[in-house]
Amino acid sequence: MKWLLNALSSSVGKKFLMAITGLLLCGFLVAHLAGNLLLPAGGDLFNDYAKKLHENEGLLMVAETGLFGIFILHLYLAFSLTWGNNAARGKGYAATKSKRDDTMSKTRPDKWMIGSGIILLLYLCLHLFDFKFHRFGMDQELTALAGDSEAVTTKVAIHVLKSPLTMIGYAAGFVFLFAHLSHGVSSAFQSLGLSHPKYNSLIKYGGLAFASLISLGFFVVLFWAISQ
Amino acid sequence: MSGQGMELKLQIWRQANAEDKGRFHIYHLSDVSPHMSFLEMLDVLNEQLITLGEEPVAFDHDCREGICGMCSLMINGQAHGPDKETTTCQLHMRRFSDGDTIVIEPWRAKAFPVIRDLVVDRGSFDRIMSKGGFVSVNTGNPADANTILVPKQDADRAMDAAACIGCGACVAACKNASALLFVSAKVSQLSLLPQGKPEKAQRVLNMVAQMDEEGFGSCTNTSECEAACPAGISVSNIARLNRDYMCAMLCSEEGM
Amino acid sequence: MVQVAEATLDGRIPDGPIEQKWDNRKSELKLVSPNNKRKYEVIVVGTGLAGASAAASLAELGYNVKAFCFQDSPRRAHSIAAQGGINAAKNYPNDGDSIWRLFYDTVKGGDYRAREANVYRLSQVSGSIIDQCVAQGVPFAREYGGLLANRTFGGAQVSRTFYARGQTGQQLLLGAYSALMRQVGSGKVKMYPRQEMVDLIKVDGVARGIVTRDLTNGKFETHTAHAVVLCTGGYGNVFYLSTNAKGCNVTAAWRCHKRGALFANPCYTQIHPTCIPVSGDYQSKLTLMSESLRNDGRVWVPKAEGDARRAADIPEGERDYYLERRYPAFGNMVPRDVASRAAKERCDAGFGVGATQQAVFLDFKHAIARDGEATIRAKYGNLFHMYHKITDEDPYQVPMRIYPAVHYTMGGLWVDYNLQSNVPGLFVLGEANFSDHGANRLGASALMQGLADGYFVIPYTVGDHMARHGQEKVSNDHPEVRASLEEAQGRVSKILGVAGFRSVDSIHRELGQIMWNKVGMSRTAGGLKSAAEDIQALREVFWNDVKVMGTGESFNQNLEHAGRVADFLEFAELFAIDALHREESCGGHFRDEHQTDDNEARRDDENFCYAAGWEFQGVGNEPVLHKEPLDFNEVPLTTRSYK
Repeated sequence: MKWLLNALSSSVGKKFLMAITGLLLCGFLVAHLAGNLLLPAGGDLFNDYAKKLHENEGLLMVAETGLFGIFILHLYLAFSLTWGNNAARGKGYAATKSKRDDTMSKTRPDKWMIGSGIILLLYLCLHLFDFKFHRFGMDQELTALAGDSEAVTTKVAIHVLKSPLTMIGYAAGFVFLFAHLSHGVSSAFQSLGLSHPKYNSLIKYGGLAFASLISLGFFVVLFWAISQ
Repeated sequence: MSGQGMELKLQIWRQANAEDKGRFHIYHLSDVSPHMSFLEMLDVLNEQLITLGEEPVAFDHDCREGICGMCSLMINGQAHGPDKETTTCQLHMRRFSDGDTIVIEPWRAKAFPVIRDLVVDRGSFDRIMSKGGFVSVNTGNPADANTILVPKQDADRAMDAAACIGCGACVAACKNASALLFVSAKVSQLSLLPQGKPEKAQRVLNMVAQMDEEGFGSCTNTSECEAACPAGISVSNIARLNRDYMCAMLCSEEGM
Repeated sequence: MVQVAEATLDGRIPDGPIEQKWDNRKSELKLVSPNNKRKYEVIVVGTGLAGASAAASLAELGYNVKAFCFQDSPRRAHSIAAQGGINAAKNYPNDGDSIWRLFYDTVKGGDYRAREANVYRLSQVSGSIIDQCVAQGVPFAREYGGLLANRTFGGAQVSRTFYARGQTGQQLLLGAYSALMRQVGSGKVKMYPRQEMVDLIKVDGVARGIVTRDLTNGKFETHTAHAVVLCTGGYGNVFYLSTNAKGCNVTAAWRCHKRGALFANPCYTQIHPTCIPVSGDYQSKLTLMSESLRNDGRVWVPKAEGDARRAADIPEGERDYYLERRYPAFGNMVPRDVASRAAKERCDAGFGVGATQQAVFLDFKHAIARDGEATIRAKYGNLFHMYHKITDEDPYQVPMRIYPAVHYTMGGLWVDYNLQSNVPGLFVLGEANFSDHGANRLGASALMQGLADGYFVIPYTVGDHMARHGQEKVSNDHPEVRASLEEAQGRVSKILGVAGFRSVDSIHRELGQIMWNKVGMSRTAGGLKSAAEDIQALREVFWNDVKVMGTGESFNQNLEHAGRVADFLEFAELFAIDALHREESCGGHFRDEHQTDDNEARRDDENFCYAAGWEFQGVGNEPVLHKEPLDFNEVPLTTRSYK
């Protein structure tokens, strides 16, 4: 299997893996958002969902480990490619100016995927501390909330999202998520070689639509929580 | 477009040789005709420098009609200057205005080391080509040309890719100094034609391996290469290379 | 009077009927066995169509090849700029073409100054070239059914030209380059880019190597081998302004000439009729618009002298389509020399157009009305784009302005039928030799010749030379090798030592002016004599006043240029001498004294039906003329007519 390792560690192979892991993470985002949208949907839907999710701890563990693996690979490739890309330039230019036609070229997300990626990583740390590891100092509050065990998950979620720091952090996270996905999705198709003049605009605008919908979806959850 | 005789401030990278650290020099040039080509403007500067007893600015050029791919130059941060599908030698001073400052730098990439001033070594492109940018037929008596039928659409697309002039603008304009547009143009041309099919898998694997070996960056699909390419090579060729590479990696017996 | 050698030159043309000459020669040639080929080394200088194809083909046979080019990559040689196409006698369109007809057209187009046997061979292998290039993946234009497409070109009444958009030269060169790079990858060719050949090494009268200068650091090196194959192109840049690339030069050929190789017919210069006119005194080169444009464009000037109206304001009745008027049979498709002279005639008579009045119109109005803009765009899009870029005028809206410019040089080092010069072991291919185009080259034939020489002639004939001369190697310490090296080094020091005040470029421009005015499209005895004097004087200026910046031990383009101009200044004199001695008009050589009543060229077959090979006698000394009589057994000598 040395051939596989060789091929995958080439620049093209790495981009291939980057695309696969990226698209898998997109899949996770869809599932995650679908779950979270149960919050504003109201009632016990979200709590039931959370309960079902945690019913089979073994399966959850496997899924989380897989997700973690994909994420780490995506992260590793990002840093390894960036390191290589910086080295490939060597000395930089005194002036650079895009020759592309798009008007927003200065702020185009494809120029700073590593930047939006790092910000998303920070956001993710915050998010994990909030919900997975329960942020420092919040344990007591959460215990206090736990009186009504049925609605606890929803309440915890609302409680966390309403804290001002989280609010700002999450809103920023969703914006950068949009930026990251707006290039990442269509770019993944290109890296996988899925390009055809008939479908190229579909891929481009589909990617943009996907990024918008995901980001919008999370904003809905956030605004709902704030309004509670 | 301005009238006759522009005044220009040129900020040009000067570097005595590969080891020298290099620095920008400022030159003032007056009475520049808008009908001059960019390189003719540099010719005029060099004539003046020689009169002043200074060494002229070194820059690569040869055919001066946009086809040999020898000329380069990063002009105000843009490979081959502001015009689309145009090489530096075909860029004319009517694109600039009186009083402009023009920053002129060499292509920058680890795989394109500076030889002097604005001249870089693009031998890495030749080495990539030597690993697979060909069809393995010896000179001799191949079958009559018309025994190979090539649908017009395929021939046209192969020609689109084959139009690459190997100037290196794609590398220069890419934020990662990736050579994938260059490599994909040759891979695409040969992969679209029946003549290139027998070596398709081996070709793409070998050329990509050499590209990595040379120290070019990876493609992050920003399409800056396509915008800078004087020959109008499309990034769809990169997608085709990616596809060929995956097929070669997963389905062929090459590289085992 | 010119000093003429007694013995005539022997072109070593094989016996037999013309169709069998090449086969006969191939059967006479000695072979080197496969095991022994790897014991031989061949040097190939230049990597254009001829050089790249020769280097690749020789390496495929098993020889060890060293290939040199002055550009940064072998892919940049100036063959790349050829636009229109390549001829081959395939007769795919079923319009009556044949090997014989291509041969006939080429001999006639060359105004009966080419060697018949060479031209016939060229015709014979022309079809194989297309087969070879297609097999390499050259993306020739195709019909919807998948078969190859053809178009017509000047000087022919059949469609035999294969093309790849307006970039045929590029695609053929990239095909040959890819074959070359394949051999570089396999280790059979060692490639030396950015190296300039500055001298030939002869040992015991046989070419055994070259001296090179590494342009990146100025280091001199000697390379020895069993044969030297020179594919270094033409010398059109002696005119300063030409359609050649800036780097094109005569240096390699001239250094061989100074080592004893005869230079043949230097005065045969092709002036291409369709170039973009000069716009200012800063101009560094001229840009060609492919001859294929004349398929659909119509050439005209106003009927009224000095008519300065815009083209659109000149009604149809007041336009003079002078080519159609003068040459009804061929119309706008007359050969290049005829079209060029006709344009010059109109402009000299005061009918020229544009600001300088040194231009004629090439109009696509009728073609666009007939076929639609889309069709014209598909055929010539890149050429129209290029014209628009350079002139800031849109040729879809206003007619192009064109004027003749120096494009190709038919003369070159003298070679025999085997493409070997009179110096054994020195072979000369492509534009650098003189053999196949006579006094004028037809469109789409340069590519054909370069590839024919490299792919299909030299692989046979080099072997014969090797087999006859044995495997013995020459050491780099051999006294003749050292002598050539020291001479070459001395020349660079001498140039750097002048320390004058004139820039190299200004001297080169001045040389170009002399050549264009007095040795250009129409020549007179008086003008040529004064040109020779002017050139001698300018050579003095160069060696007293030239100012070259920088050192010899660094990347120094100014010094490179100086070396080439120094050689042009010697060569230009030979050029003028040859033009003066040829008291006739033929093809790309037009003497005002020798024209018919209606201003057509008048040949003198009685006295000048020979190739003129000049032997070097020292700078400034009269060269000795060696004549190779040309026999026309197949195509009887007639006056060329395109009426």
